[in-house]
Amino acid sequence: MKFGDQLRFVRQNMKRNKTRLFMTVLATAMGCAFLTVLASVGFGLQQSMVEEITGDRLVTEITIYGKNPDKFDTQGIQNGDIDYFQSLPNVKAVTYRNYIQQYMDPSIDGNPVNVNQRIGMDFEAEKQAGFGLSAGRLPEGNNEIVIGYHIREVMDEEGRPSSELPAASEWVGKTMTLQVSYYEDGELAKKPLETVIVGVAEQPTKEWNRDRNIYMGEEMLTQIEAITGTQLGELPYFEVAPTKEQVQKLIEQLPKPTGERQYQDVTVVAENASKVKGIAEKIREQGYFNHSIADELKQVNMLFTIMKIGLIFVGTIAVLIASIGIFNTMTMAVTERAQDIGIMKAIGAHPSVIRRVFLLESSLIGLFGAIIGTLVSYAISFAVNAGLPIMIEVLMEETLPADFKFSVIPPYLAALTCVIALGVALISGQRPARRATRIDVLSALRREV
Amino acid sequence: MITMMGISHQFKIGKKGKERIVPVLHDIDLSVEKGEIVAIVGRSGSGKSTLLNLMSGYIRPTAGEIKVAGRMVTKLDEGAWADFRLAHYGFIFQNFQLISSMTAYENVELPLVLKGVGQSERRKRVEKMLENVDIAAFASHYPSELSGGQQQRVSVARSLVLEPPIVLADEPSGSLDSENEKSLLTMIKQLNHELGITFVIITHDDQVASVAHRTIRLQDGRLARQAPLVSVESIKETFDLAKGGHHS
Ligand SMILES: Nc1ncnc2c1ncn2[C@@H]1O[C@H](COP(=O)(O)OP(=O)(O)OP(=O)(O)O)[C@@H](O)[C@H]1O
Ligand SMILES: [Mg+2]
Repeated sequence: MKFGDQLRFVRQNMKRNKTRLFMTVLATAMGCAFLTVLASVGFGLQQSMVEEITGDRLVTEITIYGKNPDKFDTQGIQNGDIDYFQSLPNVKAVTYRNYIQQYMDPSIDGNPVNVNQRIGMDFEAEKQAGFGLSAGRLPEGNNEIVIGYHIREVMDEEGRPSSELPAASEWVGKTMTLQVSYYEDGELAKKPLETVIVGVAEQPTKEWNRDRNIYMGEEMLTQIEAITGTQLGELPYFEVAPTKEQVQKLIEQLPKPTGERQYQDVTVVAENASKVKGIAEKIREQGYFNHSIADELKQVNMLFTIMKIGLIFVGTIAVLIASIGIFNTMTMAVTERAQDIGIMKAIGAHPSVIRRVFLLESSLIGLFGAIIGTLVSYAISFAVNAGLPIMIEVLMEETLPADFKFSVIPPYLAALTCVIALGVALISGQRPARRATRIDVLSALRREV
Repeated sequence: MITMMGISHQFKIGKKGKERIVPVLHDIDLSVEKGEIVAIVGRSGSGKSTLLNLMSGYIRPTAGEIKVAGRMVTKLDEGAWADFRLAHYGFIFQNFQLISSMTAYENVELPLVLKGVGQSERRKRVEKMLENVDIAAFASHYPSELSGGQQQRVSVARSLVLEPPIVLADEPSGSLDSENEKSLLTMIKQLNHELGITFVIITHDDQVASVAHRTIRLQDGRLARQAPLVSVESIKETFDLAKGGHHS
């Protein structure tokens, strides 16, 4: 018997008692919704917690703090170290931030721009690590820069950001002039450096995180260093106007651009989260101080995993209760149709066909229940996430972090619910289906069943 | 086509421990040739239905062997029997045994569905079959919306739709009036003649027995006699009837 015909049979059977079918599907749907919503709290709280912990950092990140001074003659991370990290297996990228040590008075069309950090970095590695843009593109050529999302933000008198934020993307294509200060014959001089804004960085996920940096590539940093003759454009600081010799002497003391560069904010990005542990351990063995959120998250995740398993277990009990309904419905269906089953067997229906038809019916009930239950769960989950924070704010006068989620239903939770419901339905259909195959042909033909 | 060798059958009745054995058939040897119409007659309770149920595989003989279409079927399990029935037998029952929740069309279609025949092929064969038994106009009727004669036509159509080599019928005209009975018998004769289908028919009725090539009489679970000639047999049948009717 073809599957399509089995389905047709089942459909015909189901039509015979729609109320009963509806009630059974309803009970199953309720069980599934209970299971999904309950477990979704575990998933939601975990996600919210993890997000609180990670913020804008990636779980694949390993932050390098420095080197063990017992083992190395310098604590800074240098070119050789970066190359070493890059050579490790499963490392996707190694990023760093080089903070330029002078302000450079950035301006656009003659108007000063209020920037925070001026950062030199490796865009190729940043791209690998997931440096996101909200507009434009990453720099390709010389003299191209990326600006922070909040760069146009204006502060009010109290130092709070004004509510209106002009779009930084409007500045893409504009020229930003940097005035690089340097000492020439003991005199402070300025040299303008024209840069073109080609992109705007992504908005930071945390509301309080304001990005007013400007990001530039290696070549620009080199240009600046060439002007000042010092690493990172650093200049000596004087309380009073210095003499030529004093300037000369202090500049001599600063690291030269030709010398070993000390990299800051070095981050090793693993190919995926599962590789973090191995890489972190390896570089720790090599004497690098490092830290990864994966470390931090391990315990939190462990706790939530146990919680989720518990919740799914409790939820499954609800589905099991619903399965009593399926069992009952299927038993009644078999009893009602005993005569037809007998006739079918008499003319040559294989018992396994009969069994399959009834199992199909019970698993369809399970499936319908699971689908409806899942849809309802998504609705409940949405309502809880929208409503509960408001209630907490009103009743307890506490503010939850923005985007705090109580309930999250990942697709695999929905899939798991469907699998559980289907499995339970199949099991509860087992006995009625076997009963159907055991109906005695002659009793059925004599209308004794 | 069908051979029974030393078939005996007894039923067990009563509760476990206090079972009583009811012997019904005793050491029956019987054979039905391909293309034959065989009538099985006998008093009520003589074991006719039991004999046919053994051939159908609804029950298992206590002793003996059954061979159908060259295959030993005595030891087949339930599933194999089901497949065997579907492949070799058509069934016509006294009270039609149509599925009440299915239309005439769907009832006739059922064996094709069970066999896994495709939609379009099914439609062709069902429509032709309904045509043949002259019931096409009632295709969409449910059994409860058909007369007894019409229901029996549907059940004949169902029994023949897979073109089985053998049709087993337990009192097929038992619930029909004489007119419907006549047309059923015409149909049987015609099918036997045109398609060479073998018929085994249980009957109380000499009308039915008269179309048979051979009549087998059961008496208290034993074969009474077996005669090859139609005419002689029907005369004897009439004679027996006249002497002391065994209609129940
Ligand atoms: N399931 C059963 N359990 C016990 N005894 C049975 C069973 N089926 C039939 N019998 C007995 O077997 C005997 C033969 O029954 P069977 O139905 O074969 O008779 P029959 O010749 O078909 O009669 P009828 O012409 O009335 O249909 C009867 O005495 C009956 O009591
Ligand atoms: Mg009988």
